[in-house]
This record gives sequence, C-alpha cells and structure tokens, in this order.
Amino acid sequence: MGDFVSFLQNNLADFWTYTGFYNATVGHVVMIFIGIFFIYLAVSKEFEPMLLIPIGFGILVGNIPFNMDAGLQVGIYEEGSVLNILYQGVTSGWYPPLIFLGIGAMTDFSALISNPKLMLIGAAAQFGIFGAYILALLWGFDPMQAASIGIIGGADGPTAIFLSSKLAPNLMGAIAVSAYSYMALVPVIQPPIMRLLTTKKERLIRMKTPRAVSHTEKVMFPIVGLLLTCFLVPSGLPLLGMLFFGNLLKESGVTRRLAETARGPLIDTITMLLGLTVGASTQASEFLTVDSLKIFGLGALSFVIATASGVCFVKIFNLMLKKGDKINPLIGNAGVSAVPDSARISQVVGAEYDPTNYLLMHAMGPNVAGVIGSAVAAGVLLGFLV
Amino acid sequence: MKKSKIGMFLSLLLFVCLTSCTGKKADSKLVINEVLTDNVSNFQDDYGVHSGWIEIFNKAYSTEDLAGCLIKVSSVPGDTVTYFIPKGDVLTSIPPRQHSLFWADGAPRRGTFHTNFVLSKTGDNWIGLYDSGRSLLDEVVVPGNLLKPNQSYARTTDGAETWEVKDDSADKYVTPSTNNQTIESNPKMENFMVHDPVGVGMTVTAMCVVFVGLILLYICFRFVGKLAVKLRKRNAMKVHNVTDKAEAKERGFGEAPGEVIAAISMALHEAQGADHDVEETVLTISRVKRSYSPWSSKIYTLRETPHKK
Repeated sequence: MGDFVSFLQNNLADFWTYTGFYNATVGHVVMIFIGIFFIYLAVSKEFEPMLLIPIGFGILVGNIPFNMDAGLQVGIYEEGSVLNILYQGVTSGWYPPLIFLGIGAMTDFSALISNPKLMLIGAAAQFGIFGAYILALLWGFDPMQAASIGIIGGADGPTAIFLSSKLAPNLMGAIAVSAYSYMALVPVIQPPIMRLLTTKKERLIRMKTPRAVSHTEKVMFPIVGLLLTCFLVPSGLPLLGMLFFGNLLKESGVTRRLAETARGPLIDTITMLLGLTVGASTQASEFLTVDSLKIFGLGALSFVIATASGVCFVKIFNLMLKKGDKINPLIGNAGVSAVPDSARISQVVGAEYDPTNYLLMHAMGPNVAGVIGSAVAAGVLLGFLV
Repeated sequence: MKKSKIGMFLSLLLFVCLTSCTGKKADSKLVINEVLTDNVSNFQDDYGVHSGWIEIFNKAYSTEDLAGCLIKVSSVPGDTVTYFIPKGDVLTSIPPRQHSLFWADGAPRRGTFHTNFVLSKTGDNWIGLYDSGRSLLDEVVVPGNLLKPNQSYARTTDGAETWEVKDDSADKYVTPSTNNQTIESNPKMENFMVHDPVGVGMTVTAMCVVFVGLILLYICFRFVGKLAVKLRKRNAMKVHNVTDKAEAKERGFGEAPGEVIAAISMALHEAQGADHDVEETVLTISRVKRSYSPWSSKIYTLRETPHKK
C-alpha cells in the first residue's frame, strides 16, 4: 500500500513539473498581460480588432508555460508541432503574399488612376522606412536587422513579416507585433503630427473632384503596374505580383467568384492564421529582450517620420502646382499603407475643420500607392542586402 | 495630347525596353565544379581508396536529377570514354546549390558514383557533362601540366566562370563535395557596414528606386488617363453628331465629373424602385397577410396542455 501511495505521489509530482504553474516565469506573466491588453484594445477601443484579437490571443497561446525539455511538441518553435506547422506560413513567407492577394481583390485603385500624381505621396511616405533604418543602424543593429525594423515604417504588416522572415528571422515576432500595434494606433499617432505640420488655410484646401475612371483603365492598372514595378524591382514580385493579381481578379469583371474568395474567405483565413501564429511566436524567452524594446521605440519613430514626410511632401509639392490643382496636406499621412485607416484619419481630421470637405476618396490614392511603395521598398532592401 | 507626343512616349518606352534587353547565353543548371586527377592522400571513397574525382554542382535553386546524364572523358584525342549515370538511384538528385562527387576509379560496379574511367594523371583531360538528351551541359579541359598530386582544378567559387588551381594553400583549398569557397559572411551586408555605416547611401538609393517606380506608373497613367478622356470625348461627339471640337469643349463632352455620374446612378437606382434613405413622414401600417399552411399551424404543432384527470 505504501509503495502504491508513493507511486501516486511521484506521479503527481512528475505531473506537477509539466504544468504551466510549475514552468511559469515572470516573462510569461508579463506577456500574458500584454496579450490581454491587446484583446482589451481590440474589444473595448476597437483598434484594428481583426488583427489585435488574433495577435492578442496568439500571445496567450504562445506564452502558456510548459516543460520545454519534455518534447511534448506543443510549442511554436518545436519542429513538427501543430503551431510550428502553421507558423511555417510566416517563416517561409507565404502568408503575406496571400494577404496581398486579398488586399488587391478588395482595393479600388480608381482614386489613384484618376489623379496619378497622388502616387508620389505614397513614395514620399516611405521615408519612414529609411529614417528608421538610419536610426536602427545608429542604435547598433546590423544592416539586415535595421532594414527589417525600418520596414515597420511602411505600416504594412504583411510586408514587414515577409521582409523580416528573410532578413532577420530572430526579430520577426517583435517586428510583426510592433508593426500591427502601431497600425492599430494610427488614430492616436497621426492626427497630432498632421495638425502640427499644417496651417489652418492648408487644412481647408478643397481638392478637384476625381474624374470617372473607365473599366479599361482599371483593367490596365494591375497589368501595367506589375510590369513596371516588377521589372524595376523583381525581388518585390511575391508581394506586388499577388497584389496586382488580386486587383485584376476584381477589375476584370469576369472572375467575380475568384475575387470574392480572395477578398473574403481566403484573406480571413490567412489573417486568422497569421495573427495567431505571429502572436504565438512572442514566447517570453524569445520576445522579452532589450532588442524588442528598441524595436518598439524605433517602430513608433518610423510611423512619426512616415507621417511627417508624407505631409511635408504635399506641402512642397503644392508649391509646384497650379491654384486649382492644390492637394490638401491632410492626405499626406495616408501615404503610409495602413489601408484604409490612415485614409480615414485624413477624412476625420479634415472634417474637424470643414465638415463638408470630403477627403476620404482623395486620401485613398496615396493610401494604396503606399501599399505599392512599401512593397517596392521591401524589394529594394531585399535586393540590396541578400 | 498630340500624336507626336504619343509617338515620342511610345518610342521612348520601346527604346528603354530594347536597350535593357541583353543577350544572355543559355545557362546550364548542372556544371562541372572541381576536378582532382591525381589523388595520393586526399579524400578517399567509401572503400578507402584514393582515386581521382569529379565534382558536379547544381547552380539552381531547385533540385536537379543527374540520372540518365552522361560524363564523357577524353585524355587522348579521338578516344572518348562515356559513363552513363544510372537511373533509379535517389542519390542522383542534387538538392539546390549542392554538390555530387563521382570517383574516376574505373570500377562502376562499386556504385552509381564510381565511373568506368580513370583520369590521366599527367596529360590533359577533357571532361564533358551531357544531359539525357545528349546535349552538352558543361565541359572543361583540365590542364595536366599545371596540377601536382592532391591539387585540384576548380571554379574560383561554386558555378563561377573562372577556374584556378587549388593547391591547398590558405585561400585555395581542395573542397570535395563542398563549397569551393567557404562563405563566412554576407559580402553585400559587410559592404554596407563599411561604406555606408549611417545608412544615407541606402536611403538615397532606395528612395530613388521607389520614386522611379511610382513616377513611371504616374507617367504611364497620366498618359492613359488623357487618352481615356479623349476617347470619351470623341464618343460623346459621335453620339451628339458634333464634329466641331470647339463646340464639343464648350458643351463639356466627356468631362462628366464623378458627382454627375454618381447622381445619375442614384437616380436610376431610385427609378428602379430601390429603397431610399429619407422616408416620408406619412406612416402606413399594412396588415401582414400570411397564407395558411398546416405546417405552420399552431393547432397542429402545439402539444396538448397537460391536465389532471
């Protein structure tokens, strides 16, 4: 009987070493609180819930403590585990292009086609990427890590994940969480910078109504866009190729079912998997480092630089434009590719000063140009450093 | 837009396309990468024998199969020996950017990677690699007079165009079944670290590329937009049977702004009996009529209320 009791005691003691309570560290608890905070932001404040709910819950999943020496194959970094298999979409970089396919299928490039000069704002806002790149170099990161951190300034989660999976896989978790967090915080970060850099007169500028865009132009855009951008930067092919393919599905008008799948069930499925696995990749042991804190700091700065450069570029650009063609600098912030949030910010801030001035459709131009611009920038960085 | 301008734009585009096209020779994915003819004390095979060897490298980023390929060797003009690489051996598949080593020991019975010829230790050796369709993939003449025992003749780096003698010195070492030059760093990144430690060069160059890409798109769609407006105007003129351009401009043909089109669309939508946002203040309550069906009848679907008997 004594043997049996001691057998049970040993078993229970052994079981105890497998539990989360036994293996928990302060890091795990901190990360779990961060995950809960993300979920709170998503549910209560409605900051990018589509991203923050999967990422926040992913953080909880990734930070359930367990005995890592037991070979249970449950952790995201344990080869062959279910989470590890799902995570391969991130590490091999095939989730981001699929997201781009969906983005392409849901994006209307009409605003950009009708007023193509807005594309230049999308290019100017990419200064955020390279401003952060310079700062990251100065802070001691090597060029590949700095490029991965800099891409946060593109405000484009899939691009950030794609590039960091190629250039700095060890920083990918922090970069992805940082990129998505700041994208969610666009309504907080951008308005003060926009107000600071513009005068009241500039905020009241009314832009010319965009002309109607023909079906032929809409069909031509993805084809010409792909050929021009990818001949220039072939390394951007996975992202740009899928973006323009998705857009052609939408605009061709004859592949409605495919376009609906791409912008509906496909992008939803991939967003869930991407968010969950990126969140789960933030295991405390890997994530809670000084580098992560630096990345979060640099990420915030990159968003500030991107917003400021977009707004300032419009102000300079206006000096060269005729009176009736002036651009409202409040759409400069939309050059970062957080679609459509940053365009919405232009509308909201613009409406504060003139409720009858509708900037949303104009802001969508630089917004989608920003998507193209950040994918091109990622391609350039990849081409230069690999 | 004038026709001459359109012509100039198209000519410029064609010129850029044509000048950027360069003739590139067809590249084989499988190449002879390193050859050692006189093996005295170098790498030994799985039988413990020192024989000459030929290393084949897969330049591609995809798996390539050597099965069915031919290795031809000639050390005397007019006398060529051919070794047929057997099919059915999974080991003949070379993973991306990897190597495969063939022993020139004249003992093909020892396995797939043992050839039926021996390399000349003193004279020149011509070695050719052919695919299963008998097309030449790669060839090399190994100069016998340059090589001492245990020295190999190899490409400077894997798949490179230039060859050199690997004499086992510090930077030229014999590398059977492995990279001809060990890559210990990322040269591109190191270049940036040395020449552009602050990142200004990268910023300027990369931003130029981003701007060029989007400026190209801008130019293209500015041109396309103007063409589209012109075509629309021409169609409108045809419909209204107007031939005078000044009159067409005055009447604003083809210049319908988005708001007008939106208003027309809305009017059509409403005319087709669609719902409207602003309701009239007259409230009408209509009796909802539902046709009787025993399937929805409460009499049949409700169970009898329990009662005491």
